[in-house]
Amino acid sequence: MGTPKAALEWHGSTLLRRTTGILARVTGGPVVVVRALGQELPPLPPGTEVVEDPREGLGPVQGIAAGLSALAGRAEVAFVSSTDMPFLHPAFVRRVLRAAQEGADVGLPLARGYPQPLAAAYRTALAEVAERLVAEQRLRPAFLFDDCTVTRLDEAALRADPVLAALDPGLESVVNLNEPADYQAARARPAPEVTVQRFGTLANGHRGPRQVRAATVAGAAAATGVELDGHVVAALNGDQITRDGETPLATGDTVFFLAADAGG
Amino acid sequence: MTAGGYFGRALVVDAGTATAFPLPLPDEVLRAYLGGAGLGTWLMHRLAPPGADPLGAEAALAFVFSPLVGTPLTTSAKFAVVAKSPLTGMLNDALSSSHFAISGKLTGHDAIVVRGACRQPSVLLVDGDGVRLLDAAGLWGLPAAEAEKRLRERLGRGWRAAAIGPAGERGVRYATISHDGRHAGRGGLGAVLGAKRLKAVAVRAATKVAPADPEAVLAAARDLRARSFGPATAKYRELGTLANLLAFNAISALPAHNFQAATFAGAPQLAAEELAGLRSVARNSCASCTIGCEHIYSARGGKRMRVEYENVFALGPMCGVSDPDAVLAASALCDELGLDTISAGGTIAWAMECAERGLIDAPWLRFGDAGALLRALAEIGAREGLGELLAEGSRRAAQRVGGGSAEFAPHVKGLELPGYEPRTMHAMALGLAVNSRGADHNRSGAYEADLSGDHDRFAGGQGHVAAAVETEDRAAVMDSLILCKFLRGVFTEPFAEWAALLSAVTGWDVDGAELRQTARRIVMAKRVFNIREGWRPADDWLPERLLSAPLTVASGRVATLTPERLRGMIDGYYAARGLDAEGRPDQATLADLQLA
Repeated sequence: MGTPKAALEWHGSTLLRRTTGILARVTGGPVVVVRALGQELPPLPPGTEVVEDPREGLGPVQGIAAGLSALAGRAEVAFVSSTDMPFLHPAFVRRVLRAAQEGADVGLPLARGYPQPLAAAYRTALAEVAERLVAEQRLRPAFLFDDCTVTRLDEAALRADPVLAALDPGLESVVNLNEPADYQAARARPAPEVTVQRFGTLANGHRGPRQVRAATVAGAAAATGVELDGHVVAALNGDQITRDGETPLATGDTVFFLAADAGG
Repeated sequence: MTAGGYFGRALVVDAGTATAFPLPLPDEVLRAYLGGAGLGTWLMHRLAPPGADPLGAEAALAFVFSPLVGTPLTTSAKFAVVAKSPLTGMLNDALSSSHFAISGKLTGHDAIVVRGACRQPSVLLVDGDGVRLLDAAGLWGLPAAEAEKRLRERLGRGWRAAAIGPAGERGVRYATISHDGRHAGRGGLGAVLGAKRLKAVAVRAATKVAPADPEAVLAAARDLRARSFGPATAKYRELGTLANLLAFNAISALPAHNFQAATFAGAPQLAAEELAGLRSVARNSCASCTIGCEHIYSARGGKRMRVEYENVFALGPMCGVSDPDAVLAASALCDELGLDTISAGGTIAWAMECAERGLIDAPWLRFGDAGALLRALAEIGAREGLGELLAEGSRRAAQRVGGGSAEFAPHVKGLELPGYEPRTMHAMALGLAVNSRGADHNRSGAYEADLSGDHDRFAGGQGHVAAAVETEDRAAVMDSLILCKFLRGVFTEPFAEWAALLSAVTGWDVDGAELRQTARRIVMAKRVFNIREGWRPADDWLPERLLSAPLTVASGRVATLTPERLRGMIDGYYAARGLDAEGRPDQATLADLQLA
């Protein structure tokens, strides 16, 4: 790639910032980034935790083990994602997490022709199993799946979720970037279509919702002429409120811009 | 020598005998409590008899000015009315503004405290000639604004009056005191004045007061004036507080149907974005204010009224009414009667739910029925029919009605909740629960934390506690200096900047750290007053409905505020304030209050 995947530019942000932001939105945190020893990371949103993978070159199970261990006692289930899935959609994460929340040790998508262990849900209690497998040099995720209960979600199962089917019908959530050409092609695609509504003085004569393409809150602000200064906040889908312009957006999102100076 | 900006005395009036004496206010008391709500709290500790009936003759009620009044500092022409509330039985300070503040202070007093009761309806006059009573014949029964107008016609234009409406005369426990169209609205202090058979207090300037450093004050005033035209006040200037309504609806923070929902389908019809273009006819400001937040709307029939978020929330979504003409008419009726719109709307919404559940016999009273809303307000103002019950406020009314209606009576400590949904605003939930005045958005601005993006508004924790403490402290200082809270956004280092203003006016060498300590002292003194008057730990809590009925927000997320989460935040608040596990201060804290 020429640049570490985590730091690849993505609509004014980075791939890693986008991935951590999507996961924070869905889970409410904590979000853990597993990095190689000494690996430099681009800026991350406040509250993101970084742990170091003590042993390099041991493959995904080692990274999964490090991440799940970091969440022990704080979450029962975690979504594990690689950093290079720019189209990861919150609806996909929610659907996959549900599989583990309903009882399985692992919720494993089978999408776009492959199992997706790096876009899957895991019980955090699997950390010990994963570490044992690494110690035994059994480094493929398939060994982990042999030792636990796995709910496999094929494309039909995934698309049975009406929200996911509507917002990510092609299951592009699992598209990853392995070559520079993959990145160039992905980056050339238009940003997600989102709905923006401005309130109060920000409406400035433009009441009602408006469709724009934007990958971040800052992008949505720019597309609608809102200056994202200290007096403006954004509410995503009527839920969390943010001032962070790099907060990632996904297809179907609604962004409300409102005055931060509420009250009276 | 008295500090700049002060006279160093309060005037204590016996309304029964029309006599008065000056109460010296030592420099250390003024520095410890500043003015407004803070000084008023100290005065209540000193002059309000413990356990007194707020509607009894022995009750004390104070009009309290501040060191900044009379300076060219923008938004400083404000005054506090402070007394034990007949609605909550606890300390209540309600702020109003404009010329009464300036003329009242320039009678030569930092506060005017009224005790006793007149034998017949009267007006209390205070000026350089002392105090005297004027027969209120011809004024009794009038709306406050009309009484004020006639008083000025009778007394002369140099006089300014704060008056009550018919609701205050009849002891409605959430009656207001009004001046120049602004209301000392919350907590029923109009009923306290009415119980003294005082239709109004009229004041006339008789002297002057100088700041310690006039040049510094002038420079600060110029700077503050320039900042007051900036983006931090744009919302208030351009659309007013009603701009909250549609935004709050979008984020499920708009209480509706007596807190059975946090969104309201009729919100767009009532929104500032919709109404401003159709109904806005003027914009006004208080004396000495450069913001100009008052948006005057015209209702069907031509009647004009000030429109704020809280009155539209309380008389609209809270009661399920979406017809803007009805809501504007209800708001105007509250002004005429002298009713706090939040408590009136909250109490009526509770009654609507009771009626729909068959707990009270009022088949005419239904959510969404504008005619019923107006009838209920009229009956409350007259204390007739159902109004006799509803004039008591939702807490007392629920105690009388029973049938589980207390679980959905929308109050804290007896004060009806403002338009902020606690289940989707957890910092605000804490602020509402612990504040000494009761459920109040002006003494706790914790909603700022919920809307800041710095905290998860659905998952209250220690960050929310710190934010609630900070905003409560800021409010304590702003309400005591006094500066309008709509100015708060222009300060980047508020305590340090306020200290600089205070130093320029008084000549004291005050810094931000001292002012922070002052804020904590004022907050604590209010709490200690309440403890004296029978506050119990259970009073720092929220209505059962808010802790047992989750809400689903637009994103599909379920917003829940559990008793355990609220308890955890309250415990954190007590710890941050240095209180024990039951919310009581230790001896060292009490000694700092200078109440002995």
